[in-house]
Amino acid sequence: MNEMMLLLPILIPVAGALLVLLAGRSSHSARFGLTVLAAAATLAVAVLLFPQANNATGITFSHAWASPMFSFELRLYSLSAWILVAAAAFALLVTLYSWHYMAGRPHGMLFCLYLLLTLAMVCGAMLANHLVVLLFFWEGLLLTMLGMIAIGRPGAWKTAFKAFVIVGISDLCMTGGIVITGLLAHTLRISDIDHLATTGLGGLGMALLIIGATAKAGSMPFHSWIPDAATDAPLPFMALLPASIEKLVGIYFLARISLDMYQMSRESWLSMMMMVVGAVTIILAVAMALVQKNYKRLLSYHAISQVGYMILGVGTGLPAGIVGGLFHMVNNALYKSCLFMTGGAVEKQTGTSDLNELGGLGSKMPLTFLCFIVAAASISGFPLTNGFYSKELLYAGALDRGLIFYLAAVVGTFLTSASFLKLGHAAFLGKRNSRHDAVREVPFSMLLPMVLIAAVCLLFGPGNALAVDHLIRPSLSAAAAGEHHLGGLLPHNWLLAELAAGAVLLAILNHLAGWRRYGSGLHAVDHIHHAPVLSFMYDSAAKGWFDPYIIGRHIVRVVAWIGWGMDRVVDWFSDGFWVRTAQFGGWALATAHRGRYALYVLWCLAGAAAVIGFLIRAM
Amino acid sequence: MSHELLMLIAILCPTLGSVLLPVAGKVSPRLRNTLSLLMVLTALGCSVALLPSVLSGDLPAAHWEVKNLPLGLALSLKADSLAVFMAIVSSLISAVIVAYSTSYISHYGHQNEYYAMVTMFLGAMMGLVYSSSLILLYLFWEITAITSWRLIGFFREPFQVRRADKAFLVTVFGALCMLLGFIAVWTAAGSCDMDVIHAKLGIGGLPFYAVGLILMGILAKSSTLPFHTWLPDAGVAPSPVTAMLHAAVLVKIGVYVFARLFLVMLPLSLQWQTIVLVLAAASALVSATAALIETDLKRIIAYSTVSQIAFIFLGFASGSTYGAVGGLLYILMHGLAKGGLFLGAGVVEQRTHTKDIRQMGGLIKTMPITAVSFAFCAFSVMGIPPFGGFFSKFMVLSGGINGGHTWLTLVFIAGAVLTILYLTRLFVVVFLGDKTAQANEGSPVMVACVAVLAGLSLLGGLWINGASRWAWSAASGFLVPGLSQ
Repeated sequence: MNEMMLLLPILIPVAGALLVLLAGRSSHSARFGLTVLAAAATLAVAVLLFPQANNATGITFSHAWASPMFSFELRLYSLSAWILVAAAAFALLVTLYSWHYMAGRPHGMLFCLYLLLTLAMVCGAMLANHLVVLLFFWEGLLLTMLGMIAIGRPGAWKTAFKAFVIVGISDLCMTGGIVITGLLAHTLRISDIDHLATTGLGGLGMALLIIGATAKAGSMPFHSWIPDAATDAPLPFMALLPASIEKLVGIYFLARISLDMYQMSRESWLSMMMMVVGAVTIILAVAMALVQKNYKRLLSYHAISQVGYMILGVGTGLPAGIVGGLFHMVNNALYKSCLFMTGGAVEKQTGTSDLNELGGLGSKMPLTFLCFIVAAASISGFPLTNGFYSKELLYAGALDRGLIFYLAAVVGTFLTSASFLKLGHAAFLGKRNSRHDAVREVPFSMLLPMVLIAAVCLLFGPGNALAVDHLIRPSLSAAAAGEHHLGGLLPHNWLLAELAAGAVLLAILNHLAGWRRYGSGLHAVDHIHHAPVLSFMYDSAAKGWFDPYIIGRHIVRVVAWIGWGMDRVVDWFSDGFWVRTAQFGGWALATAHRGRYALYVLWCLAGAAAVIGFLIRAM
Repeated sequence: MSHELLMLIAILCPTLGSVLLPVAGKVSPRLRNTLSLLMVLTALGCSVALLPSVLSGDLPAAHWEVKNLPLGLALSLKADSLAVFMAIVSSLISAVIVAYSTSYISHYGHQNEYYAMVTMFLGAMMGLVYSSSLILLYLFWEITAITSWRLIGFFREPFQVRRADKAFLVTVFGALCMLLGFIAVWTAAGSCDMDVIHAKLGIGGLPFYAVGLILMGILAKSSTLPFHTWLPDAGVAPSPVTAMLHAAVLVKIGVYVFARLFLVMLPLSLQWQTIVLVLAAASALVSATAALIETDLKRIIAYSTVSQIAFIFLGFASGSTYGAVGGLLYILMHGLAKGGLFLGAGVVEQRTHTKDIRQMGGLIKTMPITAVSFAFCAFSVMGIPPFGGFFSKFMVLSGGINGGHTWLTLVFIAGAVLTILYLTRLFVVVFLGDKTAQANEGSPVMVACVAVLAGLSLLGGLWINGASRWAWSAASGFLVPGLSQ
């Protein structure tokens, strides 16, 4: 097949975006119809391209762009091929979902425009075979993200600013990493960069690239814009970017960095750094999720927490961890986007996402509730769901590298389960708010994406071998994929599986006890929230004391004042010091020439003394 | 038409023609404005006409000199690839600025003087760019100082005149130091012609103090720490003037002469490279942090210029080819984007009648085209793809690391982070924000000029193939041995 086809996944959405722009103030249906068509065509091309990528080298497209340094190179090979299909599929489903969701909301045209451009940028980032081309699309995503958040509710620009600054800075770190990588590898073509050493400058280069990749995936400490965006940005944005596509792009690139571009040994500090970041992200973010009282905000903390599992998995450097991390990436994209869609459905029908005002919607929105149950069970790692199997692989990898990492993962599972029991109970069960008596199920166009995704979640549970052994492992090198099959219905390590199931069971018991004590699903975990020490930590977090963005702002402010002070000192030299010095000099000379006879005699005598002194020395 | 004639027209038409503008102004303001624009366009056209032969490698395209002067006093002009590149960049941006001025300046006094000075300013820039002799270089250098002094003090209030005096005194102080350095060069080489000097003195052939003296002139003109504070103060000038000072002409003179002298004529020793880079890094950080604190629209952008000029120095002083080409590309991309930012700021300032960003907010609703153009230019300065500024920033950073200055380059990355911060803050406070300042979109000519520069910033990135080829060919003239790849 012609390698020019590789351009299509980028060009089709761009063309769609231009058409949306040209159509201007056309009707809502026309605009969304066009967007769905473009997304569907992109998916079709991605599917058509998929079989082409299964040979060893894949297919490449190259065009001299800004020679001799940059060339526009795209490459489709096994790993990027299926992630490309997944990204295009998510974009299509989110577009379908948005059709009804965005009806009656402002900025529909801009939404479609940004959505299609986002899709183009993602496809470009997946296909890029040149680090500068990758950066080109990577930062393009930054711009569309900025636009998408800004068109949310009034005042969303503050969150857009925050997101832009955080992601922009991490992208700049990545630029630094790319410069160093290019210097060490003597090329910027990704497929030619082969396991660079991670000592010295290489370590710095890899660390900077990891910052770029993990920040895109939403890991700590670059996470704090996500919960704000959950409440400020249009909901489909959350289902599309932080929930699914950003994870796909970020973790895909993380895998490329640590598996292909650099030689990351298990003993290196970079592996340890990734695992620590992963473990910390899991625990802290899920702990925050537990106490949230807003449907979307609660989900957003899980979007952060789950990425911790993936980073931990890839960071282990073991086949089980790497494959588990990538499988978890797919699973998370599925259930997280489904969960956000259920959140959007509830908000669309009730007009609120505040859990204090929700309740008892299960009977009114049964299919949405069903999808929620499937997705929540999956994210909690309930046995036989897809999340259970990916977490099992991750547990095995983490335990091999250290008990502490394993414990972090298991505690994360417990807290995840607890928070979803709380969420489901608060939104769909219990007493219904009388204002919501007339609430109905969402229309078909919103239900279809949720149901489809939930079905794939179910499929990838017992049928996990389909993803693990037929998609993920074949796309990795032999060292990363391991020698044995990692998929299958029955767990490979029964003890780990039982312990994981035990964590879920414990969460259920905890919820029942909390429910009994407080008489409300929403408050079922309040005993954790109000526990000694923890309550102080939660209060501090609520005040933003732990938000790296706010801390960073304080630091920057102090640095800025110091820099400004230095600038003023320099300015004082040119504006004050030299002027005063000149004035003083003038005054001193003027004082010495006031026309007083005695003074002039004194000058003459001093001059004569100087001349005599000079003559004496000369002799 | 011969190449020599084209080069002379490019210099003399605006320089001498500017004298006629006040007379034309007596006849008709429209005639004066048109003539001024035509003179700038003539300089641009002549430089563009020199481009094909420069690109074909026929170096230099033109050479003109007054022969048989005694004592090695040379008066020579030369159009090589670097000069033509710089001439086109500065006259292109100046042409947009003059077009913008026809609307912006139309309701102020002293217009005759304004157009005469702006046109002479550009003419002096052309002369400086094409100079191949240190004497002519110094002559044109001082003409730019005098004209910019008049232009900064355009509004005639005492504090504005004081600021103009400050700019004049600082840059002339630097220029006099530079003159001493030139005399040292002349004494050592026995000639003022750059080619002769290049042939006689190799790397390190110049006394240490002479390099220092010349650098003082360059740093003062290019507004680099510790001589930078005149530039933010010069923000009292009309916006087109500040755009010209910051984006197209004045501050670029310093970096251009740096390239001309220390990349082509006398490559810098490693010791001086490091000194320049340390100064530039400090300049980038100090000015970027000051930009975060300032609340005056034009001062913020001015500090941004100081900070970005440091990146050009990083490219030129890195000692690597990528860095040098990146530095040239940076001159182009920064000129376009910064010109756009200043002209955009001019529209905002004129409509809101204030420069205090705390009084602004929500302007994107009433000034959408200016806002989007401003954002495009800001993205380019931040270095976000696909805007042109990304490629230039990438290349100078690559140059820094390739040249072995890894740690200093990391400081510059910190400077780039600050750039994102202060420009985002600026855009958010002025154009987003909660307050809705009452202001309408600027006049069509002004908005069109801002949009053109924003469009060129984007085009420069999308068509980076052409832009970078051009920069490579411009740099090919000075890719002397000793520069690493």
